[in-house]
Amino acid sequence: MTELRYRIIKPAATPALDAAPVLDVIGVGHRYGATEVLRDISFAIRPGEKVVLLGSNGSGKSTLLKILNGLIAPAAGQFHYQGEAITPARLKLPALHRRFRSEVALLFQNPDAMLFNPSVFDEIAFGPRQMELTNVAERVRHWADQVGVSQHLERPPFTLSGGEKQKVCLAALLALEPKVLLLDEPTAALDPRSTGWLVDFLGGLDITTLTTTHNLSLAPELGSRALVLGEDHSLIHDGPIQALLADMDLLAAANLVHTHRHRHGNIEHRHTHVHDWQ
Amino acid sequence: MQRDRVYLGLYLVAVLAATLIHDPVWLAVGLALVLLSAGRQAANLLRRAVLTVLAFNTLISLSYIGMAWWQDISPWQTLLRLNLRVLLLTCLTFLFIARSNLFQALSLSKNLTYVLGLAYSQSLIFRRAHEDFRLALSSRSLKRPGLLDRYRASAAAVSWFIEKSLHAATQSSQALRSRGFFHD
Repeated sequence: MTELRYRIIKPAATPALDAAPVLDVIGVGHRYGATEVLRDISFAIRPGEKVVLLGSNGSGKSTLLKILNGLIAPAAGQFHYQGEAITPARLKLPALHRRFRSEVALLFQNPDAMLFNPSVFDEIAFGPRQMELTNVAERVRHWADQVGVSQHLERPPFTLSGGEKQKVCLAALLALEPKVLLLDEPTAALDPRSTGWLVDFLGGLDITTLTTTHNLSLAPELGSRALVLGEDHSLIHDGPIQALLADMDLLAAANLVHTHRHRHGNIEHRHTHVHDWQ
Repeated sequence: MQRDRVYLGLYLVAVLAATLIHDPVWLAVGLALVLLSAGRQAANLLRRAVLTVLAFNTLISLSYIGMAWWQDISPWQTLLRLNLRVLLLTCLTFLFIARSNLFQALSLSKNLTYVLGLAYSQSLIFRRAHEDFRLALSSRSLKRPGLLDRYRASAAAVSWFIEKSLHAATQSSQALRSRGFFHD
């Protein structure tokens, strides 16, 4: 019987800053036809780090996650996972494919894209069955319990609410006990209660995470380090998230804050705001 | 703009002709002319057209062969005509879309431009969603998904697309009604 590799803990483990990068992105660029979506992106993420990837709509966040999941080959640059170059072509090697797919998981922005099995149980069991694990049922029940969908195990996933679907997707990914979790706007379709639950849940996972969002108030809850994609699709910030939040000029340059007219009592003026919206 | 409208006119005339001509020889000549017009893109155009119609035409052709065998008639003339016509119309459409700006071509009618805008925006959304469904299955698969898994994934995607199409169609008609598009 395979032992579950991690459990829900608080606080999350501190990342080892001298450890070798688990994800290493070197000069990555990408285009869709004539449209540039990523320009010369370089950064490294070490084991245990919780990183937030910020950027306005269309800045290239989702594309970058798909490159980091080996689904899209970058038009320029390289991406390494634990020192090994990853491209869709290299992932045709069965051993590398199996290891990478079980260790690096991507939660898509639209949970419907990930759900296709006849029941929630089968959905969560899909990965462990592919790995031919012996304790599939135990894993399924463990992760269903962790995300709070145990009561839905026999239901078709298509009949669940948006928040419940998101939880099923998370359980399906975590059932493989990945080392890296990539999350694409995980709170975009969630109500406030589910968002709070997700923030707590992700904060308690002892796992490397890279989470995209354009919700500035949530960002510090999802990670301590921020990467920011600018409107020119280049990386314009890589550092502590608190330093980013204190830099209004940078936030404005990334189109993450806005300026509008408003009133304080009888005084009307304009200044930059951080109003989050989905 | 003028060029796009000329292309639209030529395309409509060609479509009408392709539906009125029954001789497979002339349909083949028409197909050859379309491929010649495509120039260096001819091979790619033909490949895309064949892939697009392959499943539909195979099903129809096999059904017709079965019926012809049952009725003891020769199916080949009809099969040749049917497949050439569908291939010609598909190639014509792909060539027209590649060579012209549809928005410019239909700019003579405000209503047609609205309808095209709606269809185009929906197709972009669906294209992106289709790509996400495909990538999500790939991302979750540690080994090549089995036939049953692929069938289930396709069924889930089709179900999602139908549901979204109905929702989008309702939203679009409500939005158009709200903007005074329907005069009722």
